[in-house]
Amino acid sequence: MTAAIVVQVVLGGLLMGLVYALVAAGLSLIFGLMDVVNFAHGELLMLAMYAAFVIHENLGLDPLLQLPLVAVLLFGIGVAIYRGLIARALGVRFNTGMVQIFVTFGLSIFLVGAAQLAFGADFRSISDGLLANRTIAMGEIVLPLAQVAAGLVCLLAFAALVAISRTEFGRALEATREDRDAVALIGIDRDKVFSIGWGIGAATVGIAGVMLASFYYISPTVGSNFALIAYVTVALGGFGSLLGALVAGILVGLVEALTALLVDPSLKQVGIFAIYVLVLMARPRGLFGRL
Amino acid sequence: MRANAITRRRRRELIGGGVLLILLALLPLPIANVYLRGLIVLTLLYAGLSQGWNILGGYCGQISLGHALYFGIGAYASAILFTRYGVPPTLGIFAGGALGALAALLVGWPCFRLSGHYYAIATLVVGMMVLLLVQNWGFVNAAMGITIPFRMQSWEDLEFRVAVLPFHYVMLAYAAIVWLIAWVVEGSRWGFIWRAVKDDVAAAESLAVRVFPSKMAAAAISGGITAVGGGLYAQYIGFIDPDSGLGLSLSVLIALPAVVGGVGTLWGPLLGAAVLIPVQQLSVAWLGGAGNGVDLMIYGALIMALALARPQGLVSLFGIRSQAGGEAVDRA
Amino acid sequence: MVDIGRRSLLGAATTGMAAGALAAAARAAAPPDIVIGAVYPLSGNSAPIGHDAQIALQLEADIINGNYDVPMLLGQGGGLPALGGAKIKLVFADSQNSPQIARTEAERLITEEHVVAIIGSYTSATAVTISQICNRYEIPYISAENSAPSLSQQGLAWFFRPSPTDIGFTQSMFDFFAGIGKQTGRPVHSVAIIHENSVFGTSSARIQESMAKKAGIKVLADISYQASSPSLSVEAERLRAANADVVMPSSYTSDAILLVRSMHDAGYAPKAILAQDAGFIDPAFLKAVGPLAEGVMSRSSFAIDATKARPAILKVNAMLKARDAGKDLNDLTAREVTALQVLADAINRAGSTKNTALQAALKATDIPGNETIMPWVGIKFDATGQNVEGNPVIQQYQHGVWHTIFPFDVATAPAVWNVGK
Repeated sequence: MTAAIVVQVVLGGLLMGLVYALVAAGLSLIFGLMDVVNFAHGELLMLAMYAAFVIHENLGLDPLLQLPLVAVLLFGIGVAIYRGLIARALGVRFNTGMVQIFVTFGLSIFLVGAAQLAFGADFRSISDGLLANRTIAMGEIVLPLAQVAAGLVCLLAFAALVAISRTEFGRALEATREDRDAVALIGIDRDKVFSIGWGIGAATVGIAGVMLASFYYISPTVGSNFALIAYVTVALGGFGSLLGALVAGILVGLVEALTALLVDPSLKQVGIFAIYVLVLMARPRGLFGRL
Repeated sequence: MRANAITRRRRRELIGGGVLLILLALLPLPIANVYLRGLIVLTLLYAGLSQGWNILGGYCGQISLGHALYFGIGAYASAILFTRYGVPPTLGIFAGGALGALAALLVGWPCFRLSGHYYAIATLVVGMMVLLLVQNWGFVNAAMGITIPFRMQSWEDLEFRVAVLPFHYVMLAYAAIVWLIAWVVEGSRWGFIWRAVKDDVAAAESLAVRVFPSKMAAAAISGGITAVGGGLYAQYIGFIDPDSGLGLSLSVLIALPAVVGGVGTLWGPLLGAAVLIPVQQLSVAWLGGAGNGVDLMIYGALIMALALARPQGLVSLFGIRSQAGGEAVDRA
Repeated sequence: MVDIGRRSLLGAATTGMAAGALAAAARAAAPPDIVIGAVYPLSGNSAPIGHDAQIALQLEADIINGNYDVPMLLGQGGGLPALGGAKIKLVFADSQNSPQIARTEAERLITEEHVVAIIGSYTSATAVTISQICNRYEIPYISAENSAPSLSQQGLAWFFRPSPTDIGFTQSMFDFFAGIGKQTGRPVHSVAIIHENSVFGTSSARIQESMAKKAGIKVLADISYQASSPSLSVEAERLRAANADVVMPSSYTSDAILLVRSMHDAGYAPKAILAQDAGFIDPAFLKAVGPLAEGVMSRSSFAIDATKARPAILKVNAMLKARDAGKDLNDLTAREVTALQVLADAINRAGSTKNTALQAALKATDIPGNETIMPWVGIKFDATGQNVEGNPVIQQYQHGVWHTIFPFDVATAPAVWNVGK
């Protein structure tokens, strides 16, 4: 095992970690805002990947160019889910926490079935495109272009999220998170904030999905492969913390890659879970959790 | 006055339970259809499993999304003891139950200090971790699972060639005993503490010291019950592997009847199982051939609709209120 | 029960007798259908496979029942001759890849639909429970494509498997190594095994390991990976580091795609890839990786290019393409067609659908290979219900077509062998 291989693996893990981080960020945002863990988050990712595929097949648009389109589409879906389901779930008087968990669980099952109905259970992939089958070489280190691009785009998306948090809307989001019940007093329409929050949360996972579609296969159940890592990442980073999602995502990506390299590939997810357990024992709210 | 009302209610529940037991015991007799009998057996199994989950998730308020862990432990323990060491399952399931209880304590010890959603995700992660480890563990035959072949008819070994009726009574006994345990827990001091903790933050803080041991006890009971159910399942189906014994969908299926039927109630898990299990199995039989995902859409839509329309569970249709306890308020 | 007036009773009786006479006449003309059950994953991840199986089985049933005149056993059509031209009727059930549902559905087929036998089931876990329940009810289970050796070692008297097992498949791989090494003078010294960690991969890898040891071939890497991983780049990196002569993967389609792409991204082009079938022969894989699939080899129970020795292939393949979106026969669908053929032949020889007669007929099966579409010597079951005359071939993907390259006497193209170059 040479130093070059280790560096390559570390970089690969870092890039993958950025993707995990973006997926987790959407989840974290939604939770931080309204205490709802979206168990259909993986399926939102799956929808974004299918959207990328369908747009690519029918309009010939390369995934990179589709980013704004799919982001807007997923934003709309997020708002629709909030208005149609979550708002109702929040209004429930009993067992609110449990209702939220199971409503989004039911949604995830429904979406998998719908995807199978619409697209069939066959695997799809986008095998051509600007990023496909190309690699970047830096000396001995070779990295797939699609994954490098994914990592960079996710990082940019994070920057965008941070920028949003500095705007007036971002402050409204923060205020709503701090004190859900009092914001109405200062003229913030809570319902509108929640809607947009869901929209942004879904849009971020939409961006991650489009980038993943460039190099990963697409199927109705593909969401579950990433969902678990997303929940772990969010819990690790701390629910409601964007910084936490970023740090935790990178950490998860690195641990996964290094466990595969140094221990055994079949145990790489166990490595992630082990880190998660260790961190949570020491800090039950996660690395940067506030709530 | 209130105490008398409670005692009257509890007595009514016990009588109701007894009547239901008799009805369920007679139920399969006029039904000659093997498939329907099998459906009832599975429904009873899940009624018991979900009731076991309910003790921790409903009464105690700790929503576990990793209960398949205990199911798997019980199934594997019983299967391995039987196929490799000749221990009859009638004993093996209890050994499995003990292991399940132990596992629940080990998981509960660090995890109970996590609140709400953190706890749910932690249980989910622990469950997945064990699944991955088992898939790579040669002692339990890794991914290939354990097969329990049929050798000869025996009540001691819970082996019946094609007869479903014996398993009906075994599962009925399981569900009935679990129900009884839940009834006892509901009326116990623990149940009182959990309800007090849920409604009143100050009480939660002052009772915090006493709550932890009671949660551990609930976990152990819940884990043990689930493991026994797993052992019974292994004997009924004759096969267990990581996917069918430890998977996330199984964890959800264990929790769902209680959620749909009504958490923190005695009848919720039964009602939920009676609705969900037939829907799940029959949708395969009727729609399965189509293979196009419609069955999943129906299942998912059903869960969403029930969760939203009846958050207190289907039992609320009968005017039964939850005795749920647990975490002091959902939001700050 | 219902009070019927005398006149209407008379009217009803007359109509009833007339209808009865017609029905009896019809019945005398056509013997009852022979109901056969098939349990496959028709929903969920493996639904495409189950869907293909459904089409393949229905195709064979139509060949037996119709008059397509295919040059193979029971290909003349017209139903089963020994039962008065009785037609095969298939009833499908969805296993959802769950051992519990597979068992429940199989039991339903047996007790409700009264099937005389069951064919299945693609995955090993479902095959375990289906074969066990069939054994309990004393109904034959025909394993069309389950390759786990343990299935025929359960001691089941009602289990029959025409297809080779992973042992047979892996043996053919190492026979190939020995043969090609002698032929080209560039033998295999080392292999790298990579497998997904569920039943299929684990079982396959274990057998490969032990056979490699016996053949004196070094196993430079034995990588077990989590199926459906988001990334296989580290695994690909390990393969590159091992740099064995042959990479031997056991993967399903999605992982196969990811693995091949990851190896390419890691700048690693293995000298030879010899796959344990599954994902690597899936048309979806070939489409997804494009030119990267060139030269990939796989064991196969079926040789689509053996049309000279097995002329029936042409007609059956054409019929399948017409019904299944232009897909050719592949390793799985070919075995499914053959499984039904074997079962139908046994029912025919038994002359009845009684289970004990059927079991005896199955045990006595002796079909020469050239009466089927398979490149096998034949179908003959041993005491455990395993076919001992099914010999797999090794195929290689050359310029968009699968060619048989081993055994050499049935090869239709020379192997492109880069080991040692």
